Amino acid sequence: MSDPFQGKKPEQPGLTPGCQRCEEQAKVGVYICRCGGNISDVVDVERVAEAARQMPGVATAKVHTFMCSDPGQQLITEDILAVGVNRVVVASCTPFLHESTFRGAVARGGMNSYLYEHANLREQCSWAHRHDPAGATEKAIRLVSAAVGKARCDAALDQIRLPNHRIALVAGGGIAGMKAAGDLAACGLRVVLVESTGALGGQLLGRGAVYPTETDAEHIVAGLRKEAEGNPHIEVLLNSRVRSVSGFVGNFQVTIEGRFGPGGQSATTSLTAGALIIATGFHPYVPAEGEFLYATHPGVVTMPDFLQMLQSAPGGTRMLEVQGRPIRSMAFLHCVGSRQIDGVHTPGPDGRLNTYCSRVCCTTALQQEIAVRRRFPETAVFDLYQDIRTYARGTEDYYRTASEAGVVFFRYRGEEPPVVEAGEGKGTRRTPLAVRVKDTLTWGEELRLPVDLVVLATGMVPNAIPELVDSIKLPTGEDRFLQEVHPKLRPVEVSVNGVLLAGTAQAPMDIRETLSAAGAAAVKAAAMFAHEDVELNPYVAEVDLSLCEGSGQCVTQCEYDGALQMVDVIVGDRSVRRAQVNPGLCVGCGACVAVCPQRAIQVNGWRLDQYEAMIDGIVAEVAVGAH
Amino acid sequence: MKKQERSQAPGVASQWPAATLTMRCLMENDPYIPKILVLATEHCAYPGADAVGKAHLEYGANTYILRVPSPALFPEDFYLHAWSRGVDGILIAACGSDCPYRGAYERLARRIDDLMVRMKEGGLETERIRLTAICTVCIKAFLKEVSQLNEALAALGPVRRALAAQLEAESRARLRSAALAGAA
Repeated sequence: MSDPFQGKKPEQPGLTPGCQRCEEQAKVGVYICRCGGNISDVVDVERVAEAARQMPGVATAKVHTFMCSDPGQQLITEDILAVGVNRVVVASCTPFLHESTFRGAVARGGMNSYLYEHANLREQCSWAHRHDPAGATEKAIRLVSAAVGKARCDAALDQIRLPNHRIALVAGGGIAGMKAAGDLAACGLRVVLVESTGALGGQLLGRGAVYPTETDAEHIVAGLRKEAEGNPHIEVLLNSRVRSVSGFVGNFQVTIEGRFGPGGQSATTSLTAGALIIATGFHPYVPAEGEFLYATHPGVVTMPDFLQMLQSAPGGTRMLEVQGRPIRSMAFLHCVGSRQIDGVHTPGPDGRLNTYCSRVCCTTALQQEIAVRRRFPETAVFDLYQDIRTYARGTEDYYRTASEAGVVFFRYRGEEPPVVEAGEGKGTRRTPLAVRVKDTLTWGEELRLPVDLVVLATGMVPNAIPELVDSIKLPTGEDRFLQEVHPKLRPVEVSVNGVLLAGTAQAPMDIRETLSAAGAAAVKAAAMFAHEDVELNPYVAEVDLSLCEGSGQCVTQCEYDGALQMVDVIVGDRSVRRAQVNPGLCVGCGACVAVCPQRAIQVNGWRLDQYEAMIDGIVAEVAVGAH
Repeated sequence: MKKQERSQAPGVASQWPAATLTMRCLMENDPYIPKILVLATEHCAYPGADAVGKAHLEYGANTYILRVPSPALFPEDFYLHAWSRGVDGILIAACGSDCPYRGAYERLARRIDDLMVRMKEGGLETERIRLTAICTVCIKAFLKEVSQLNEALAALGPVRRALAAQLEAESRARLRSAALAGAA
């Protein structure tokens, strides 16, 4: 491809006729990120920088491998001082990831942080056009050109400050919720802990010994519960659910429905919370009727069922007995409801497959197999797996120990899962069940294992929380778990400011991971509460009194009481009616903007002249000649 | 290039990888690649477009996505201005019923209805604009909308910029008289 901007100066993007803000003195610094190859493997970033240098108002254009790194950010602060850059454009990943990072860098350089624009060259360019490097490079140039045009129209803005309500609402009273609540209370902060059932503890209740410490789950729950229930900083609401949330960081209005009315009546209450911690957790996968004969044959049970059975099994025998039946041999079947494959497994009622690994079932299965072999040495144990994933510290030992304890392993391919069927044989040799498996450890030989019991190592499914997802617009992934902003850099935050994730609502986790996540969420909330005020982006409507003629059209469009009204103002020496915005109540939707013939009312940061400048940047004539 | 071939042009990721498309246009000396402006809401469609990239799914590089709080912000003349500047097609990727702003989506829908009436009256092809709702994970819907708009634009050819400019001036005059009538 020839360079779309080669040899010609692009049309003056940003210099929209009538645009009052386009500063002749704008000196734009453009910084293009390679993203370690994520961008530069597709987009010719050097060419983008070269094109940017030709754009009007651009003082400097630089390329860096990781703009978000300290040295990358230093480029910005240095150029503000050395080159006199007074507008900044960073072309990197999606603005949701690092816009605030670079605004911070701009502020550190001594500039107003709103004299900054972001171009999305990764999610919306290099990743989406990886087989069209020429097209992607041209698009990148145009996106940068648009951002430069907008930046030249940027005006300095001040953040809006509102009081911060230092109360955290924790949704979910499992170990994650209790841990987060306890940690926040330890910082002297107030917490409301909302639990949908009648008791704190969640999925850990009644689980017996848990890996890798083999502590009784009851001890873990009891310790956390004691901290939460006896704590003057924590208000526990049982049998309650969050019905809706509105507002924003520091000022969430939360409606809770629960049986806390007089005499346990159902009632609704509302409160204002500054931060929300989502600890709504998971439930074990429930196999469909007939899936591995589940619910059609009494000898097929899930892992949670089996944990109960094992706890109540009579001792003193050398063979496990379940409901009076001796279990001569049994099979544990891994990955039930996890790592499902399209075309092999049947999707659930919502039409989706659980393609993810649930991560705790492997170790749990091995742990239970060891328990069976140690307590009941005459019960033979078969383990049918596709991969053994005992990934955590101390859990690989379970695999070794299970082997030493005489567990017999069979490995199947995911595409050909084992089949559970009715058993055969006569007299005492008859077993109620049999499992057929193509064992890849013995060259794909099909084996038929006679068994008395099959335990399905069921995975994790996130609990459905439609009220929270819908009212806060919580992002969920394809797997239905809640999605963090960034898996490494911002692992417990979501794209909604002030909302934090704790535990298995986010992804399958074991107890240690859950408690780490909950602690991290608590610290994040505590850090937010360190400030007396919350600072909000000043993206609200503003009236330019030099243009407003008082037609009142804008007011008819506003849906928010008190956000926009007509007031008397003195212009020159006479009193006139003019529109006025209350920035604390304006939400910045811009419905008012569309009807003003003077364009006197605009949303700060998203002005119409800025959009027109972006269009001019995109359509710069020269590009047509490139093809 | 024949018309019916062109009508299945840019953005159909599965059938026509974007690179093949650019190559085709170059080889067959067909200079027309339409420019598509996507006005994407920051709560829904913009992260939705991000999700397409995160999934490494591809669409034509002729799409320029601008983030917007709510497209209810734009007056009719803004769209006409975009066409007058050489944008060929506009996809308004909004939040639909998920819109976080009270009443904004309904206002937007009415504004686009009005705009399409003006376009029809003025002789500008209404296929140049599409209003749709794209959620944060609506990957397939996004690809489909982009591909369908590309098909429509390939059939229409470049926008008549002078006509759009004329309609833009008329639209601004109408907004002005509406405001005067409202003030009176």
